Amino acid sequence: MHEPLILVSSITYAMKGKRILEQRGIRAYVERIPRTREAGCGYGIYVPAGIDEAERQLRNMGIRILGRSERKNVAGL
Amino acid sequence: MIYLDNSATTYPKPMLVKNRMMQSFTNFGANPGRSGYSMSIKTGEEVFACRNDISDFFHADGPECVVFQPSCTQAINTVLKGLLRDGDHVVVSDLEHNAVMRPLKKLTKSGIGYTVAATCPGDNDRTVASFRKAITPLTKLVVCTHASNVFGIRLPIARIAALAHFYGAKICVDCAQTAGIVPIDIEDEKIDYLCSAGHKGLYGPMGTGILLLRSGDSLETLIEGGTGTQSRELNQPQEPPERYESGTQNISGISGLRAGIRFVNGKGIKNIYVKEMNLIQYLYDRLKEMSGVQLYTERPDLWHYVPVLSFNLRGVHSEMVGEYLAGRNIAVRCGFHCAPAAHDKMGTTEGTVRISPSVFTSKNDIDILLGQIRGFRRPK
Repeated sequence: MHEPLILVSSITYAMKGKRILEQRGIRAYVERIPRTREAGCGYGIYVPAGIDEAERQLRNMGIRILGRSERKNVAGL
Repeated sequence: MIYLDNSATTYPKPMLVKNRMMQSFTNFGANPGRSGYSMSIKTGEEVFACRNDISDFFHADGPECVVFQPSCTQAINTVLKGLLRDGDHVVVSDLEHNAVMRPLKKLTKSGIGYTVAATCPGDNDRTVASFRKAITPLTKLVVCTHASNVFGIRLPIARIAALAHFYGAKICVDCAQTAGIVPIDIEDEKIDYLCSAGHKGLYGPMGTGILLLRSGDSLETLIEGGTGTQSRELNQPQEPPERYESGTQNISGISGLRAGIRFVNGKGIKNIYVKEMNLIQYLYDRLKEMSGVQLYTERPDLWHYVPVLSFNLRGVHSEMVGEYLAGRNIAVRCGFHCAPAAHDKMGTTEGTVRISPSVFTSKNDIDILLGQIRGFRRPK
C-alpha cells in the first residue's frame, strides 16, 4: 500500500514543516524521497492522518510545497 | 596560562561544548541531508536544532535564515560577492577588519566602489551623520562592524540600518566581536545580513561561522555543489540555507556551536557583557594611572564599547610587549589585528597590545597582567 507524502525543497524545510505540524497537533515524520519527478532526491513530510489540512497549514506558514509523492507503508508509522 | 586573547577565539571552551563535540562523533556520525536512515536523519535533526537555536538567539525569522559558514570571513565574502555588481557603491566604517576590506578591494577591480565613513567614538550622532554623508545614489550596501576588534568601539547599528534603508541600501553587519556579548535582535535592528564567527563570544569551536539572512533574501552563491536534494538539477537550489551550504557540513562544529549558545544563554548574555565590561573598565582605570601607558579611547562605557581594549607602553613596540607577556604565560594579541584601517584611524602606526577577556577571566587575571606591565623594563 502506498501513502501520500508532502514534498518540500530541503531537509530544513521538511524539519521546519514537521515542527509546524506537531505544534498544531498533527503527527508528522521527515522522510527521504529517493527520487522526485524531475529534480532528483529530496525530503518530504509523511502525515499519517489529515494530509490536506497539513498541507494547508504548511502553505499558511509560508512553506513552499513542491507537490506530493507516495511512500511505501512501513509498519509502525 | 592567563588567556586574554578572546577576541581572536575564546579559550577555554566550556565543558558543555567539549562534551557535545565528543558525543557528536558517536551520535551524529552520518552525513545529514543526504539519506533517510536513522543516523542521517538524527544528524539532520541536530543541525536543524542548531539553526533553530541560532534563529531564536538573534530573533531571526526562522531556521531557514541560518546559513552555516566556516568563518565570519566567508560569511562576509558570501554577502559582498553575492550581492554586489559592476557600478554598485558600498559604504564601510573606518574600523573594518580585512574580512571586509580585502574582498572589497578585490571587488574594485570589478567596477565596485566604496567610501569610508569616519566613526566618532562616543558620539553616535556624528557617526550616523558621517555614514549619511558617505551614501550616494549608487550605494547598494552598507557594511560595518558592530564593534571594532581592536579598540572595542561599538557602532549604532540600528540607526545606521535605518539610514541605509531610507536611502534604499541594505546593511551587512560584522558581529564577530559582539555575538554572544551584546544582545542582538536582527528584526528590531533591521539587519539584512548578519555575519558572525561561532568560535568567539558564542563559545563554539574554530571552523564555525554564521550568516543570517532576512526572510526571502537571495544572493548569488560563492560556491556551488552538492546539497543533498534536487540532485538531477544542475542549477544550484534557490532556497536558503542549503543554497549556500554546498558540501558536507562541519557537524561536530555545529553541534559544539549549539552547546556554546546554550552556555551563553545559561550564563545570560547581559551578565556576560557586564562582567567583561567591569573587567575592562578596571583594567582601563589602572592603566590610566601608569604614566608609561598610552590609551587610545575614552573610558569604555556600556553604551559605546565592547570589552576589547588596546594600549601601548610608550616607546616600546607592541610585539615586544606581547613577547614579554608571553614569556610570563600571559596570552595577548599584538600588532595590527588584521584591521589596518582602525590603526590608521587611531594613529597606532606600530600596532597595539590588545586585551580581550571572556566569561572565564577573573579580576585576579587582570591584576596579574597589571603587575607584569608595572614590572616591564625596557631591554638595554
